[in-house]
Amino acid sequence: MRSLLLPLVLGLAALAGAARAADLPALWAERVKSTVAVEYTVQNENDRHPTLAYGVVIDGRGTIILPSAAIDQRLATSQLRDFRVYLPGDPTGYAGTYLGQDVYTGWHFVRVEEKVRSRLTPITAFARPASPVPALAEELWGIGLRPKEEDFMPYLLQSHLALIQSLPQKTGVTQQEVAGPGLPVFNREGAFVGLALSSFGQTFMQFSEGNRGGEAVILVDLEESSAFQLADEVLPNLGRVPRNVDGRPLAWLGAYGLEPMDRDVASFLKLSAQSGAVVSEVLENSPAEKAGMKPHDIIVAIDGRPIPRFRPDRVVTDYVEREIERRRPGDVMALTVLRGSDRIELKATLGDEPKLVREADRTYFDRLGFTAREFVYGDAVARRIKVGEGGGAIVRYVKPNGPAALANLQSDDWIQEVDGAPVRTYAEAVAKLAAIEKDPLRSEFVLLVRRGSDTAILRVKLR
Amino acid sequence: MKHSLRGSIFARRAGLAALLALTAPLRAAVSHGFTQLLDSVVRIDVNEVSYDEGAKRFEASIGSGVVLSADGLVLTNAHVASPRAVEIHVTLPSLEQVDARLVGWDHWTDLALLRLDMADVRRRRLSFAHSQFGDSDKLFPGETVYAVGTPFGLTRTVTRGIISNTHRYFEGELNLEGYETGNFNTWLQTDAAINPGNSGGPLVTEDGRIIGITSRGYLGANNLGFAIPANVARTVVDGLVRRGEITRSYIGIEPKALQDLENFYALALNTGTLINNVEAGSPAARAGLRVGDILLAINGSKVDGRFPEQLPPIQNFIASQPVGSTLVLTVKRGTKVSDVRVTTERLESSVGEECELDAWGLSVRKVSRIYARQNQLADDTGVVVVGVQPGFPADAAGLASGDIITKIDRQPLVSLEVIKRALAAYAAKPGPTLFEIERDRRVSLNILKP
Repeated sequence: MRSLLLPLVLGLAALAGAARAADLPALWAERVKSTVAVEYTVQNENDRHPTLAYGVVIDGRGTIILPSAAIDQRLATSQLRDFRVYLPGDPTGYAGTYLGQDVYTGWHFVRVEEKVRSRLTPITAFARPASPVPALAEELWGIGLRPKEEDFMPYLLQSHLALIQSLPQKTGVTQQEVAGPGLPVFNREGAFVGLALSSFGQTFMQFSEGNRGGEAVILVDLEESSAFQLADEVLPNLGRVPRNVDGRPLAWLGAYGLEPMDRDVASFLKLSAQSGAVVSEVLENSPAEKAGMKPHDIIVAIDGRPIPRFRPDRVVTDYVEREIERRRPGDVMALTVLRGSDRIELKATLGDEPKLVREADRTYFDRLGFTAREFVYGDAVARRIKVGEGGGAIVRYVKPNGPAALANLQSDDWIQEVDGAPVRTYAEAVAKLAAIEKDPLRSEFVLLVRRGSDTAILRVKLR
Repeated sequence: MKHSLRGSIFARRAGLAALLALTAPLRAAVSHGFTQLLDSVVRIDVNEVSYDEGAKRFEASIGSGVVLSADGLVLTNAHVASPRAVEIHVTLPSLEQVDARLVGWDHWTDLALLRLDMADVRRRRLSFAHSQFGDSDKLFPGETVYAVGTPFGLTRTVTRGIISNTHRYFEGELNLEGYETGNFNTWLQTDAAINPGNSGGPLVTEDGRIIGITSRGYLGANNLGFAIPANVARTVVDGLVRRGEITRSYIGIEPKALQDLENFYALALNTGTLINNVEAGSPAARAGLRVGDILLAINGSKVDGRFPEQLPPIQNFIASQPVGSTLVLTVKRGTKVSDVRVTTERLESSVGEECELDAWGLSVRKVSRIYARQNQLADDTGVVVVGVQPGFPADAAGLASGDIITKIDRQPLVSLEVIKRALAAYAAKPGPTLFEIERDRRVSLNILKP
């Protein structure tokens, strides 16, 4: 008898809440159909681990978007395997295909197999014309999904809007968690008002405090988020489905190390009511270099529009980066820069970004105990050398306690010589290493590696 | 108060945990030499300038030393007495105190030479003995030795032990307030108790001959103490007496022990040393030496670097050549052996001159040529922030230790004079001042406000 009492009391409490929004159950039932959980496997050299994320359906073709943080940016797309899409409350996993990431929104796109598409409702069905901007203190609600062992059962989250900020995307912050990260947020009428972000810290204050030179301290709640991007930032970008899994082309300027300025600096430079971003370095052969940009230039306007001021100041660098990302290679970007006391107009024709580390070719040598990858443009930048001086291979992974690890090879070491002979290209390095790997009589080999500004000769003993 | 002794962890401000225990009296065979030695060991109290906290501060420390001559030369460690010292007081064995000045120092070997104020000594009719070096090459593991010094300020403490190792090698350079140490010699290891404050005191044999200068110990370890061999100290003392400084040659290579790589390089055992690093922009790099080359001979003398313990003598051989002289290095690359001519440069420290910028609450150190080279900076423009005082303008603007200030009010900081002029201008008329900062390759602008 006693065991029945508690559920009864809880049930009453739930009823009291529901009474305040009599229409919510109907709105809920429809809108849950736009949410999914997505599971995929990250395949590493010696292990694999499943990863979970939440997503929202955006069209009738079964396209799903996942938040930026759902997939580690450093992973090669070839490491992302076995995408499974789960509908709330249904333990069946349906096959999904990874379509790639859009760099401007950060979203990852996944498409689910055809047979389940009819059970899904795109979020656009709940979009209202002139997407409503929620008002301060307005009551908002969203959907959370329980863990896999509970079949991703949907549950209700509800809160009030506390703040809207430009970061630089218009972002709403609620008093408590309002939806699972990547899942939609609605108003009382059921209109889509935004998409929950990969959660901020446990408190927004911790996230927003400036911490120059360091990473923001974030205690992330992986299950629920109290921040969301407004519908205005979401709906116009739903068409940005990547053309290929690498998300190419990627617009590239080549202004490296953008740094924000605070308002004291802005007013000292007579930039009233606006801001700017300092360019630390101008990369070799980049569109910025070709346009005549110099290190320490301060970007103060793009296409004639002054760079706005943000709170906090450091958002300005994201703003400039997004201005580049939303364009395409070939687009001309007019940049106004301050150089000393001169104001200079530059015109940069954006390029396609050189091959990224995650796109670099790689080969795992199990017997040697490490993965070598192609030397790419970013490796030259990181090592402050001319691109032409690069080449050979970079160590990407070292198998714990393997032969290479015992010889003190470390990830990010730059392999310059194998057995005393220089390796100028990745192909050359791989050919030499593969020959050693295949030779059962080999008992050792010697690598010359560069690590920071030091070099070391390592003797790797094979057993 | 700092008791000087270097360890893996520096013994800064070690608390005076005076644990007094009753032990049986030591019955050492007391030779005449040993008595004389006891009468030549001094305590050294140093008051030195420190810029670590964003301002010029004074820091007191205690060390030990040994008198080497009747005219008042005292040998100690470079980490006891450095050019930062503003006051040096020496307590003689008679417990009388007399001032001393720095004759010269050599941070690479961690040695410094002082001169007592002899006019004062004569006026006050003070007396002291002086001791002589023994031959540190003749030591053997197990030989009985004594350390004499001022551990934790306990003047004239004698401890006894044995030589544990005659050629201890420490890889890489050990830093002492940013100054480099330790590339040019191996160390004597002893189990004689060595504590903070022993630094600079002598390690002696039973006849009272100095065979080492106690320099460091592992803190938290039991009886792992290290001393600079007397034969190294003797050369350094000679140089400091003659010229007030030790000049060394530099070519920019870092040797590595070949140890079992002989097969790979097709070499006979005990032949040559591996060049493991060539500093960018150094004379060796300009002469075309490469990592992986085998150095077989220098000026015709054969080089043997099979084991790490053999590397400091190789470094020292190069260092002891006259600056600007041309060395002929015989180098094997692949199967080819060739002679490479390298002209040496003067060895410099990466530590630049320091000063405080009081109005901004900053202390800075000039970017030196070596610092710029080691940190891949374009040139030696700028100053490195050493310390920031809380609540001052630099702190409020977010500056931090390690930042490089490259410009003030758009003026490149090519010298400390430029920054001092900017400070003077600010002091005369305080107003917002624009600083350009580099941190981890990122350039930012900061306003320092009064």
